[in-house]
Amino acid sequence: MSRSTAARPLRVAILSFAHGHAVSYARLLAARPDVELVTADPDGATSGGDALRGRALAEAIGVDYVDSYEAALKLKPDAVIVTSETAGHRELVERAVAAGADVLCEKPLATSMTDARAIVAAASASGSILMTAYPVRFSLAFQDALARVRRGELGEVLAIRGANNGKLPSDRGWFIEPDAAGGGALVDHVVHCAQLIDELLAETPHSVRAVDNAVFHARRAPRVETGGVVSLRYPSGVVAAIDCSWSWPDSAPNWGGLTLDVIGTKGSIHVAPFAQHVAGFDRDGAIWEDCGADLDEAMLDEFVAAVRAQRTPVPDGASGVRTLAIVDAALRSARAGGTPVSPARAS
Amino acid sequence: MTATSNGIDRIGDLRVGLVGAGGIAPVHAAGWSAIGASVQVFSHEGARELAAAYPMTVASSLGEMLRAVDVVDIVTPSHTHRSIALEAIAAGCHVICEKPLGSSVADAHEILTTAGARGVRVFPAHVVRYFPEYAAIREQIVAGRIGRLGILRFTRSGEAPRGKDWFFDERHGGGVVRDLMIHDLDQALWMAGEVVEVFGVQNPPAVDGIASAPVVAQAVLTHANGAISYLDAHWGPPGTAFRTTVSAFGEDGMLEHDSAHNHTSRVELAADAGDGYVPSTPGAVSPYELELRDFISAIGTGRVARVSPSDGAAAVALAEEVLQSIRTGEPVACQTDDVRLPSPRQAMAARP
Repeated sequence: MSRSTAARPLRVAILSFAHGHAVSYARLLAARPDVELVTADPDGATSGGDALRGRALAEAIGVDYVDSYEAALKLKPDAVIVTSETAGHRELVERAVAAGADVLCEKPLATSMTDARAIVAAASASGSILMTAYPVRFSLAFQDALARVRRGELGEVLAIRGANNGKLPSDRGWFIEPDAAGGGALVDHVVHCAQLIDELLAETPHSVRAVDNAVFHARRAPRVETGGVVSLRYPSGVVAAIDCSWSWPDSAPNWGGLTLDVIGTKGSIHVAPFAQHVAGFDRDGAIWEDCGADLDEAMLDEFVAAVRAQRTPVPDGASGVRTLAIVDAALRSARAGGTPVSPARAS
Repeated sequence: MTATSNGIDRIGDLRVGLVGAGGIAPVHAAGWSAIGASVQVFSHEGARELAAAYPMTVASSLGEMLRAVDVVDIVTPSHTHRSIALEAIAAGCHVICEKPLGSSVADAHEILTTAGARGVRVFPAHVVRYFPEYAAIREQIVAGRIGRLGILRFTRSGEAPRGKDWFFDERHGGGVVRDLMIHDLDQALWMAGEVVEVFGVQNPPAVDGIASAPVVAQAVLTHANGAISYLDAHWGPPGTAFRTTVSAFGEDGMLEHDSAHNHTSRVELAADAGDGYVPSTPGAVSPYELELRDFISAIGTGRVARVSPSDGAAAVALAEEVLQSIRTGEPVACQTDDVRLPSPRQAMAARP
């Protein structure tokens, strides 16, 4: 929005703690002297899952809390972070931009292309900044790969191989509810790799093909796919594959990880943004102590800077729509038994 | 040695004919040497050099060699496997054949049915089954350690073969799918069983049947048990290190191996310009030697080797289906391999 925020702290509201990332964002923003944070999670009490929600969570991490979205928006926040169930993103983004706020929306942008386009249109109509929450692109490993690809160090890119694997998000049950999440692993774990590839190639695929299964965590009887592989073909000839499976058992010492291999005519790069750690053992088994940079922190830096400068953030809302188009096509392909399909247009 | 109705009685008497002296021949020659076999080599080029490096004699013609040996080990360009194998079978020799078993499914089947009728054994040389890490992962899967399989991932990369046109001729048994990915196609079948559908992509695609390099092929296999295998095969520019990875994810756990993390020995030499086409396994028994020992033992005992004849044909068939998918851009439903092959004992019984 157009008012200047240069001389005062930025007022930020986090709407909903449904997504676990909200906790990370709240902690990071609360620690910033240049931000005044308020949070609201009115559906927290009735959410089901085992996770701490609502006022109790806000108190646990020491951030201001109000009981309704309306109350949060009445405080005229400069910026709003939407971390509700994916199916609820559209309504909250529309309310936020109507209240004059710029928005950082959790990924994926929506559960349907219709909602995703509406989110971008609403932000655009009210002149609000819209950013999609893709933290992985802020890793120095990815930034280095991006720079090398752009400099032509790999020659011509031939193929990309992505893997975003991890445990089943277990304390928040809606991740495996098709209505709330839009799907399972194909929704939750394709988008990160798809966004990185989108930035590396600066083109959109013309063909998407996916197969999936529900072998992982079958005992919890998820109503969504828990494993899958997506194949992408691009107009330039580049081929790419993404393994999006929630394929790590609960016994693993960390949540999972993401890797991206970019293969070019002159060489290749392996990117593993979550690889920095120390390993060992304690009485309960393996230790994995993450010691890499906090990618959420870098992402919030970009959001705050873009809001203050009133410029387009990277990644923007359009990037969120392009990557959702890949998810949407992958779901259609998998439901058609693995028939290659064309992704829907972003706008 | 004497090839009795039971096969080979004493390894020390084993007479082996190595056909071909190219890139893969030295690891076979080293394996035979370790086993202590008596080896002859026949090749249009390179035989003298190979015989200078390993204990073996040079045969002046294929026919002469076939009359003097019990087992023929074919390490020639893929498109020549069929004719050499058929000649060896006609001469009553058991056949060990580098992968792919033939340039086509038809070739592979012809080799197997002809050998069955003649009463000799055929061993497709899918050496990855003898790499201890792959064998261990398969063993743990079979033992149920990680539960029902969900996803398997295989990657394999190395520098593109240099200066040999046949490697790139997809019409005659070459290309990155038939030469490189076929290892992991065999592994996927070995670990997760029958495949019902394949999807493949390749960049750059072959032009008029001729592949270029660097090149990447990716394939996704849907298994009859619901598991999905993802395979990535890459011929890189000169200097690309040979590297393979395998990951198996099941309902109850996961198993992974990365050849770059093999720490039994690590060699660093100034200006190391090693050949990235053939994997080197310092610090461990050569999988090629393990493979040849298994084949010889299988001949001696009449048992099935770790790689069966139909395994070789199945890998060729799967490679053909991946190539078909690459050409059409569509998934390909797999044909069940219904060729009826005689069991080893039946084959031995048919031996004249």
